[in-house]
Amino acid sequence: MTGDRRLRFPVLGGSSTSRLQWLVALVVLVVALLVPTFLQTYWLHVVIIAYFYAILSSSWSLLAGYGGQFSFGHVAFSAIGAYTAGMLGKHLGWPPLVGILLGVLVAGLIGVGIGALVLRFKPAYLALFTIAFSEIMRLLIRGETQLTRGDQGLHLEPLLGTDIISRVPYYYIMLGILVACLLFMYWLVSSRIGMFLRAIREDEQAAAARGVDVVRYKVLAFAITSMIAGLAGAFYGHYVTIISPNMMVLSQMGLVMAMAIIGGVENLIAAAIGGILIQVSLELLREFGSWRLVIFGALLMIILRFARNGLLAPVFRSLFGMGPRAELREEATADGA
Amino acid sequence: MDFFLSLSTTGLIMGVIYALMALGLTLIYSILGIVNFAHGEFYMMGGYTAYLILSSLTGLHPLLVVPLAGLVGALFGWVFELLFLRPIHQDRIERPDEYAILVTFGLSFFLINLTLAVVGPYPHRPPSFFEGTVNLGLMNVSADRLTAGALSLVLLGALLLIINKTWIGKALRAVSQDKHAAAVVGIDSLRMNSITFAAGAGLAAVAGALLAPSFSVTPDVGAQPSIRSYVIIVLGGMGSIKGSIFGGIIIGLVESLAAGYFPDPSRGLRYKTAFGLVIFMLVLLFRPTGLFGREEQ
Repeated sequence: MTGDRRLRFPVLGGSSTSRLQWLVALVVLVVALLVPTFLQTYWLHVVIIAYFYAILSSSWSLLAGYGGQFSFGHVAFSAIGAYTAGMLGKHLGWPPLVGILLGVLVAGLIGVGIGALVLRFKPAYLALFTIAFSEIMRLLIRGETQLTRGDQGLHLEPLLGTDIISRVPYYYIMLGILVACLLFMYWLVSSRIGMFLRAIREDEQAAAARGVDVVRYKVLAFAITSMIAGLAGAFYGHYVTIISPNMMVLSQMGLVMAMAIIGGVENLIAAAIGGILIQVSLELLREFGSWRLVIFGALLMIILRFARNGLLAPVFRSLFGMGPRAELREEATADGA
Repeated sequence: MDFFLSLSTTGLIMGVIYALMALGLTLIYSILGIVNFAHGEFYMMGGYTAYLILSSLTGLHPLLVVPLAGLVGALFGWVFELLFLRPIHQDRIERPDEYAILVTFGLSFFLINLTLAVVGPYPHRPPSFFEGTVNLGLMNVSADRLTAGALSLVLLGALLLIINKTWIGKALRAVSQDKHAAAVVGIDSLRMNSITFAAGAGLAAVAGALLAPSFSVTPDVGAQPSIRSYVIIVLGGMGSIKGSIFGGIIIGLVESLAAGYFPDPSRGLRYKTAFGLVIFMLVLLFRPTGLFGREEQ
């Protein structure tokens, strides 16, 4: 189609950089697979939690950086996934995998509902509504102690049963989910849907005029990322085996946002690595207590003000030619062939 | 009937205080065109200022720290506006709408953790303005809450006078209607931005200082009042001053009545803010411009 070509951006570079990208990704993956051989149990645990945050920060960056939608309910969706799975296990005795599946489903359904209600309006409305939703869900979970055990915390069955104490299998499961989510999101942003999302973000009216069903694609993106958050939360719950309403305080949301933005909100991989690095450095800087988050909060504001692409994304781009523009090029060559 | 009247009275008193806080948010929205997602943290700052001053200076009357708390909030708001929001209006920021949402939420994250690091997570309560309760015929109201409501009412009246009768109020209204036309007649809109953000932050801090003796302060105390303010400005119509006052009173009444008539009263009280979320949904479904909102451009 010749008409499509006008939507595409002029881009530089050739296919050699793309091959380099995949090579780097392969090396990183091999290193990630070898991690359990040189990390002790405690640090392995830290890295597993870091992968959980990486799923949250990268999916939030898909929503915010590609879609221009600012949800402050992302950690609430992960808690919804975890609590759905946990309550089904506790009250009905359902197996973890079924609970996780339903957790994802519930997160997706609530995502569709909120999206359909709010996404017709300006971006500030989604932010306003999701803050309110997130806090009120937290109040409900804290309050309905018969169902959720409130602040005492809800116990979940370990995913692999009580016999397996080693963290190594959990490490590979969390890594697998992270990689699967990243591949899925990468495919999504380079598909037609991703193109529509970016077109909507650049100019909503122009996209609508060209026949993009704006609200439908925005709701779709919101629901998909909410489901990814729900999936991450449900697995997290079945890994740590106890969850509390603290997993959805707005400060957690600020942390996930800081991870995505410090890494680079317009680049999925940078946002994921931002999540891993920040979670690990929080652990390394443990002696500084609450001051760690003060530093990351200040860094977040400074980066928003002076370096909109984050700290990692520009490095990636200059090293490997990766980044949002490079991704646009890939899609152009893939579609145009 | 008595029950209804006493619930309504409590609702009205709280509603006036809510209106004060929402008015700050509305002023910022109508002049700067942004929602301040750190509004609750200015409320928290006001409460802590009151607590910290009164716990180090004994003998000071608690009411005297309320204006001081407002000043601290305003000063902080002014600095933040200068550093992070002014560049938006000098066209130095890409995607200004998105930036404004993120940077004010970032400020909220920063302030919550700063308070946690400096003061710690435990709740603090500054001393009462006046001990005891006041008999209003039907019911007794705590003297603190009555004082907070009465002062809010006075402050609201004063603000309306400033906005409607003074030169600076006229300049503010001009900027909110048309920034460029205001610049043509010599109004410095950047200065108006600073004044408005400082005033809005100061109002939230005053509300925080007024309610701190009744509800005590913790680092995350700002979440509920800020959510309430968001619901109020959406209900009243984004940017409408009249809307934020009526919206505040409506939300005060709804919270009080709904909590009172909820089948399980302790639950009703606990989920007070949840009734606001229901109103938020209804407004979005049936009247997205709110009660007094301008049509979206």
